[in-house]
Amino acid sequence: MTTEVTPTSVAPKRNFNFLFALTLVGLLLLLCIVLSIATPSFATGNNISNLLRQGSMIAILAIGQTFVIITAGIDLSVGAVVGFSTVVIAGLLQAGVPIPIAIVITLAVGLAIGCFHAFGIVKMGLPPFIITLATLTSLRGIGLLITNGSTINITNEAFTLFSRESFLGIPNLFWMVVIVAIPAFIFLHLSKWGRYLYAVGSNPEAARLSGVSVPKMIFIAYGLSSMFAAFVGIMLAARLGVGNATQGDGWELQAIASTVIGGTSLFGAIGSVHGPLIGAFILATIANGANLLNVNSFWQRIITGVLIIVIVFFDQLRRRSR
Amino acid sequence: MTELSSGAAAHGGSPGASSATDAQPILELRELEKRYGFIQALKPASLAFRRGEIHAIVGENGAGKSTLIKLLTGVIRRTGGKIVWNGREVELATPNEAIAHGINAVHQEVVLCRHLTVAANIFLGDETVKFGLLQTRDMNRAAQKILDDIGFNLPADALLGSLTIGQQQLVATARASLRGTRFIIFDEPTAYLTRSEAAQLFALIRRLKEEGVTIVYISHRMEEVFELADRVTVLRDGTLVGTRNIAETNDAELVAMMINRSLEQIYHKETIPFGKVLLETRNLSGKGFNDVSITVRAGEIVGLYGLIGAGRSEFALSVFGRNPRTSGEIAWHGKVVDMRNERTAIDLGIALAPESRRDQGLNLNLPIGLNINLPVYDQINSGIVVNAGEEKRRADQQIKDLGIKTPSRNSLASSMSGGNQQKIVIGKWLNHGAELFIFDEPTVGVDVGTKAEIYRLFAQLLKNGAGIILISSYLPEVYELADTLHVFRDGHLVGSQAYREKSHEDILAEAIGV
Repeated sequence: MTTEVTPTSVAPKRNFNFLFALTLVGLLLLLCIVLSIATPSFATGNNISNLLRQGSMIAILAIGQTFVIITAGIDLSVGAVVGFSTVVIAGLLQAGVPIPIAIVITLAVGLAIGCFHAFGIVKMGLPPFIITLATLTSLRGIGLLITNGSTINITNEAFTLFSRESFLGIPNLFWMVVIVAIPAFIFLHLSKWGRYLYAVGSNPEAARLSGVSVPKMIFIAYGLSSMFAAFVGIMLAARLGVGNATQGDGWELQAIASTVIGGTSLFGAIGSVHGPLIGAFILATIANGANLLNVNSFWQRIITGVLIIVIVFFDQLRRRSR
Repeated sequence: MTELSSGAAAHGGSPGASSATDAQPILELRELEKRYGFIQALKPASLAFRRGEIHAIVGENGAGKSTLIKLLTGVIRRTGGKIVWNGREVELATPNEAIAHGINAVHQEVVLCRHLTVAANIFLGDETVKFGLLQTRDMNRAAQKILDDIGFNLPADALLGSLTIGQQQLVATARASLRGTRFIIFDEPTAYLTRSEAAQLFALIRRLKEEGVTIVYISHRMEEVFELADRVTVLRDGTLVGTRNIAETNDAELVAMMINRSLEQIYHKETIPFGKVLLETRNLSGKGFNDVSITVRAGEIVGLYGLIGAGRSEFALSVFGRNPRTSGEIAWHGKVVDMRNERTAIDLGIALAPESRRDQGLNLNLPIGLNINLPVYDQINSGIVVNAGEEKRRADQQIKDLGIKTPSRNSLASSMSGGNQQKIVIGKWLNHGAELFIFDEPTVGVDVGTKAEIYRLFAQLLKNGAGIILISSYLPEVYELADTLHVFRDGHLVGSQAYREKSHEDILAEAIGV
């Protein structure tokens, strides 16, 4: 009796999410097919690798951003954290710190920034928008102060080589997405922490009265978001071979756009790991295709905007009809 | 079908208690029907509302009351039948059309702007403007006059959000009664009102009736129906069962029409021997309550009765570790404990089904299964991931045991009716298991059938050795069920008695303080 499962309970909701993910994948494939036909340079190994590298970084930011948005918050600081992290890792490497230790320290700095956000939200009662906006501007300032406005060149060959190399024919940077996304998926969709995250985003008071520690979940969400951003900072530093506090300008908006395109609700409690991933690569493909087709880069911004409206509109229709 | 025709016959029949003239019905439904695909939410129903009558509509959750309201206010469109307004057939396709005809609704949950003033809310969408500028002072003055006229003691320039829910409800009513309204539907307006606020509301409703406005009054509370209504219509499972003149019917008949069960069967009380003392509060004080000492034994229902705002819920939240205590102590199984937070209380074996399902009880836009399992995710892991099989099994078990009417555990809690939502809140704690269950207003907005189910569940919990604190502002409920009944007034315990020791009147007097 205990193993009895009612036949009617074949998750209609999950099927729907699956369908939505499939639509996004379809859109991505369609983009690729159209671009392959439109320009011979799209479907080349070089270009695809390039696209994967470029998309990887926003994809990882988008995953972290999703955790925060599921709690009905927002993290505007991720772009600035990326820039700041390039400075931190470049400085450490140039000071002769071994790569693994430099990476761990940089990630710890990211985590600390995220914890500061959570502290502001939980203890000081600041809105997420405000506290992360404040970090967005001041963190760039701190980075510029440290470097005196200049760029730190990374002379550590082993470090920069990593970003250019491939494993099994796939760029290392894309493997980083896999390394982040799998634990992220387990965390959000399979572990109790994920369930708590949704509960906090849906109704913090009900979550609290059910024994969920709301402050703890806020710390986890913002901590992970900033740590992911620091991770992206390390990737970017490796790719460009420099540390500069102005890097990653506007990436927070790209990350949020990817998240939203991936079906995350800005009101919280709705979202996934795979959606934003696909969303990030849709945006990367559009940018890449526009470059190859010599479309004015201003158009990219317009297309991205239109895409956000169209996809979210259809997602809303889908939810309403349910 | 015979039931239908009896309903249709009632309106054309004998003159009722109402003094309204029967000249021409203000609104008439002819074979009105609403289907969603194959599901008939409202089976063809015929009913005529008389000018200036107070017409109550009762029925269990899912009986079709909300469907009827939505049809009349233009929120949804009918799939069959006719609606005749003032002798003319109308579409009622949009809310605006309904309002234009003079049909308005006051909902259970206040749908106004919390950050605007009372006056701004009353005039929302119909502001006084001179040279393109808002005439705030004029509007405040006009609103104050309206409020004074109808006897609401509220400042027009106060922010709506600073008022109690009950006061907000009164503002919503004042708003609906303006702008040429001829027909107002009240959907359980007193669910969150104190007794005096309800009295003010009733006075306004009677006044509107005298002005010739037709009132449709939807409520689960029988005593309100008998106090207020001229006629009453009963719905059951989407069928209009019948209409009665209030003077010619009684509780028992209406309940029998709503469900096939008698009134005595609703309050289900068994004699269960008390066990050891579970919880003891000693001179406990906190925000909103002072110096409260009670004990709860295994097998006992301790009732906390009082008006809303008397400090009962605040007391419960402190016992549950949600709010800090300022003095006094809490003993659990005879040992003093420091109730630091909710987790402490839950781990000890205390469960709380809070006052507001919407704000405190449920994660509405999440699946039912997740809601039911939320307190137990610590216990159902295999390694770092949640044991999906166990998660499903537990959700399905509660859905089955409690008879939660849902196609799936994956349906969102928001898609459930009030009664089913309350069952989800209860299922959450049955799933977790507890020794002491605190139920704060468990039957607000819940139909008679579900009420009876919830009460039977109480008996089951007691038999299993649990104790219950039952908080209610509905006296019959605590009176009939509580083994020990404490009365709260202004944050203090003002009276205590054993089962049926004092009369309703005495207890009420204690609660009001006369």
